[in-house]
Amino acid sequence: MNAIEIKNLSKSFRGMYAVDRLNMTVPQGAIYGFIGENGSGKSTTEKLICGHLVPDGGEIKLFGRDFTDPGVRVRVGALIENAGCFPGSSVYQNLMMQCINLGIENADKEIRRVLEIVRMEDNASLKFKSCSLGMKQRIGIAMALLGDPALLILDEPINGLDTDGMRIMREILVDITKKYGCTVLISSHILGELEKIATHYGIIRQGKMIMELSAEEMDSRAQVFTSLKCADMQGAKAVLSGQYADVREEEGYLRVYDVDDTAAIVDYLMKNGHVVSEISRNKIGLEEYYIELMSKKEAE
Amino acid sequence: MNITREIKFESPTFARRIKGMLGVDFYRLFHTPLFYIFLAIAAIIPAMVSAMTMMPDQNGNQISLYSNVWQIIAASKSLYVIETIADYANMNMVFIFGGIMVSIFIGHDYKSGYVKQLFTTHAKKQDYMISKSLVCAFAMACMCITYLIGGTVGGLLVGYDTDVSVGSLIIAILGKIIMSLGWASLFTFLNIIFRRYFGISVASSFFFGTGILIIGAAAIVESLTLPTSFLNIFLYGASVNANLSSGIGSLLICIVVSIAWAVIYNVAGTRILNKCDVY
Repeated sequence: MNAIEIKNLSKSFRGMYAVDRLNMTVPQGAIYGFIGENGSGKSTTEKLICGHLVPDGGEIKLFGRDFTDPGVRVRVGALIENAGCFPGSSVYQNLMMQCINLGIENADKEIRRVLEIVRMEDNASLKFKSCSLGMKQRIGIAMALLGDPALLILDEPINGLDTDGMRIMREILVDITKKYGCTVLISSHILGELEKIATHYGIIRQGKMIMELSAEEMDSRAQVFTSLKCADMQGAKAVLSGQYADVREEEGYLRVYDVDDTAAIVDYLMKNGHVVSEISRNKIGLEEYYIELMSKKEAE
Repeated sequence: MNITREIKFESPTFARRIKGMLGVDFYRLFHTPLFYIFLAIAAIIPAMVSAMTMMPDQNGNQISLYSNVWQIIAASKSLYVIETIADYANMNMVFIFGGIMVSIFIGHDYKSGYVKQLFTTHAKKQDYMISKSLVCAFAMACMCITYLIGGTVGGLLVGYDTDVSVGSLIIAILGKIIMSLGWASLFTFLNIIFRRYFGISVASSFFFGTGILIIGAAAIVESLTLPTSFLNIFLYGASVNANLSSGIGSLLICIVVSIAWAVIYNVAGTRILNKCDVY
């Protein structure tokens, strides 16, 4: 069963389509990385799924049920834009309110459980307004985790976090999918981080889904390249261009794309009088893949 | 890494949904200073008004706007058009304080973003309207009680007369408490309409809470020498109708009018929430 299934979803603001006949499928148990430029419609889609915005048209199904079904919506946890906490209330009080809202019976135990997951068990008495940005994001995750959600919708949860904060957030997200089998829809601009955890990707542009693929598919599509350095880079580039189809000079290195035999590249350069000082074999990451895809779309 | 699990979805009943929403609203009400501040305001204002009306004027003459303690609680008779401040300054003022309190209470939902948590887990928007109306009605009813205490203590300290028809007094107090439901629903509705504009929410609640529209309408109706009793179908009219000469009929009017407007505003508010974006 798919956790989210969206067909032809549209939403416009003052005649401008923020989401335009969008189709989307998020398999159950996936960590779905939702990628797109600013204003591409990621947050709007997430708000539509959460029922914060009223769609102009289309269909949203969560676990095979209509998204307006109270039975399924009570199992959705969301962190959209901010944690949605009262600044003057303590972390504990904010979580308690959500427990009451969800009708959780052993609220205290549940609060301790989610605070432990987000590694904030010692900060329950802190006022929300006195928490750091990283802590607020984690409290937002804790709020979303209350009541054993089947689906988590997280809008840019790692924005503004430092390296350590990002690592903690990454570990938390992997933990909750592993331990609780929760499906996570996560949007982020920090593609390097997303790449480390996502099992599926959806790429949105101008309100339209332009590609959906699994991490395995992404891996197989990602170009392999050999990165190397020579004393005479221009000369080496000219030599390699005569032999290989795709040679580029990027970030101070020569990159030879889609060639498996690294030794053959070195031999060829040696024969033509170029000594390789540095060489490595790489695969382009999500970020480069995304940039390339966007450039192609821009050109179309 | 797809880890799937068997997920059971049980649709919560209306009672369970509303219990959750009411629970969180009451928790907020009792755990934030806002409610207590407004309870205090509702108690202090009538005490201050009664004390100030006994102050001497420029010539040293003592002006007494009230002749009786209970006039601070309710007017002597149905006065839709006010002639002196004493006709106006009674428990009806709670509806002005209440309007401001409701605006702040609902405004905090939106300002903090907590409304997103509520609407994510509550697919039925009527839950929000019903819960806010009931909780704010409770808060306003409590304010009526502190107003009663403040007004009575203030009036007694000043030394006003205490003669009253006890039955009418009880009916007047009960009537105004019952009207809290209708007023709270109106204020919730106004705050749903102006949810993106906090200032306008507060101003509109204040404006409607003063009852100025009905006072204006009553002035026109009276000038045309037409009967004013039909004004009782409105919230302010029914609130004025609960006075120190009221009978059981006035109480019934309060019950019917309050519930009818509460239903109307709740249905209208739910419709707006269903048709429009939450924020």
